[in-house]
Amino acid sequence: MRILLAEDDALLGDGIQAGLKFADYAVDWVRDGESARLALLDHLYDACVLDLGLPRRSGLSVLTDLRKNGNRLPVLILTARDTSEDKIAGLDAGADDYLTKPFDLPELLARLRALIRRATGEAKPTLEHGGVVFEPATKQITFNGEAVQLSARELALLHELLRHKNQIRTRAQLEESLYAWGEETGSNTVEVYVHHLRKKFGADFIRTVRGLGYQLGGGKE
Amino acid sequence: MSIDRNRLRPTSLRRRLLGLVSIAALAIFGLATNLTYRQAHNDVQELMDGQLSKMGRLMLAQAQQGAEHLANLPAAMASLRGTRDQQNDIPLEYQIGKADGTVLVRSAEAPNTPLSGALGFSTLPHESEPWRSLILETDDGSYRIQVAESIPKRDKEAFEIATKTVLPLLVIFPLLLAAIYFSIRRGLKPLDDLAKEVLNRSPENMVPLENRATPHEALPLVAAINRLLFRLSGSLEHERRFTADAAHELRTPLAAVRIQTQVAALSENGEQRQHALSQALAGIDRATRILEQMLRLSRLDPMAQVPSPAKVNLAELLADVIAEFRDHTQASRIESDIEESAPFIVGDAELLRIALRNLIDNALRYSPPDTPIRISLRRQKTGLTISVADRGLGVDEAELPRLVERFYRGTTVTAEGSGLGLTLVNRIAELHDARLDLVNREGGGFEACLRWGT
Repeated sequence: MRILLAEDDALLGDGIQAGLKFADYAVDWVRDGESARLALLDHLYDACVLDLGLPRRSGLSVLTDLRKNGNRLPVLILTARDTSEDKIAGLDAGADDYLTKPFDLPELLARLRALIRRATGEAKPTLEHGGVVFEPATKQITFNGEAVQLSARELALLHELLRHKNQIRTRAQLEESLYAWGEETGSNTVEVYVHHLRKKFGADFIRTVRGLGYQLGGGKE
Repeated sequence: MSIDRNRLRPTSLRRRLLGLVSIAALAIFGLATNLTYRQAHNDVQELMDGQLSKMGRLMLAQAQQGAEHLANLPAAMASLRGTRDQQNDIPLEYQIGKADGTVLVRSAEAPNTPLSGALGFSTLPHESEPWRSLILETDDGSYRIQVAESIPKRDKEAFEIATKTVLPLLVIFPLLLAAIYFSIRRGLKPLDDLAKEVLNRSPENMVPLENRATPHEALPLVAAINRLLFRLSGSLEHERRFTADAAHELRTPLAAVRIQTQVAALSENGEQRQHALSQALAGIDRATRILEQMLRLSRLDPMAQVPSPAKVNLAELLADVIAEFRDHTQASRIESDIEESAPFIVGDAELLRIALRNLIDNALRYSPPDTPIRISLRRQKTGLTISVADRGLGVDEAELPRLVERFYRGTTVTAEGSGLGLTLVNRIAELHDARLDLVNREGGGFEACLRWGT
């Protein structure tokens, strides 16, 4: 899962990035509004953490632009002002949630999980398919009732596929969700992790759609 | 204590007015009463003299009628002239006789003075009292009459009448006092209303007092209060904004400290934890710096002039501040050009040091590490100029005037700062009658100038 973090403060941005990485998110961190706007145009994200007081282009303007383009990306805004005007302006411009500085890291993570879950239309906090039950909040996975251990990347890939149950995900899309900028990506890494997951949950758990990408098996039948 | 309190008790305008007007009224009223009394007293005396002479002539006319008439006179007079024991009547004593002094008829207690005395009114002693006496003569001079009344008796009568004249005035006086009291109360009501309005105000209400019902005399006071309210609301707004800005400005470093601390707690490897902790520490440093700048600014803000003015050698001071940066990692970037002969200025060396340090620190911070920082002190025809110039990106022209605003940080700036540095420098410049000019340099870069005398 890939998240865009737009925060101009070096200390705070660094902290949030580290915190998000703990939760196995791939994080792209930009320091100003203009870079945020460009990043949102060029890449696919699962959520965006947006500071309102950004240099070069305000967070509000980035948000307005995003919604104007019809992008339904979940956006959580960070504001340093605790007056309600700021929050109202942010929510009205299309934010899905807000946090006032200073905030709690676990709360930020919980709110992001909720935003991402709601964005995929899931009401339940767990994702299920073919005997696999995944709980994003705790990162716990059970297969036919038994706990299963997965590596961070395997887990990210599984999460991505579960979230788009009935859709075909291209290799590029899957790669985007696994790696932040600057992280080395091997040419066949997605295949490797697909292979691992198939070994654990059965060969038909993930279906290869030739020339397009991957999809969870049995979903269409 | 009690004496002090008495001394501090405010004088009441109403009580003062009431006292002064009452005393004046009392004095005038007393004078009027006195004059009226005397006048009445005199009038009564004259009236009595008139009566005395009328009585005398009447009796004289009677005597002229003949001897038998004269003989009947005492009997006729007996009922008219009153007796000694009657309180309200003044008894009349008389003696009638010939011009040569022979007495023909006389009342029992008439004075024994000879009838031959001078004509007209006189005062004579009789029965150990002064008496008012009148001697009259017929036209042909054949008969003479003396009529007399006791002066104390007459005075008593006059006193009673005069007192009756004055009495209504004395009854009216308290009414006058009451009228004065209510008039003053009513007259001063607009002042009371004004006081009530001021008193009942909530401390947040900074709306000017209305002039509608204010008396002319109180207008300067109302105007002064309104000016004070205006100034107060200004400084209150200033404080409110400062507090809000400060809280807002501190939130970001506090958020960073919190997040970094939580990251450190979650970190499983030592290097990551170390990094998070040092970041948290940096956050605390930043919050501290912001606080220090804010405190410094809040101390400078209300000042009207430099706290301890002294002669300052700017050339020496600038060289000194530059020397402070000797240990800075980027000290080699600083190029200085100081005119030694620059005249002294009057100011506070400590404040100027803070200003210069801020400007140099900004220049180092907001320009690339390999570019020079040029610091100069020049003496021109128009005055002195200290300039700190860098070869950084400069600042958007539209943002230049806003740089001195509190907590304003340029939108292109990425380095950390409190957003208070230039505000502080600007304030210090103001206190020194200097001007802070912020411009973009030709060929790129930013220049901050402190100018005196231009």
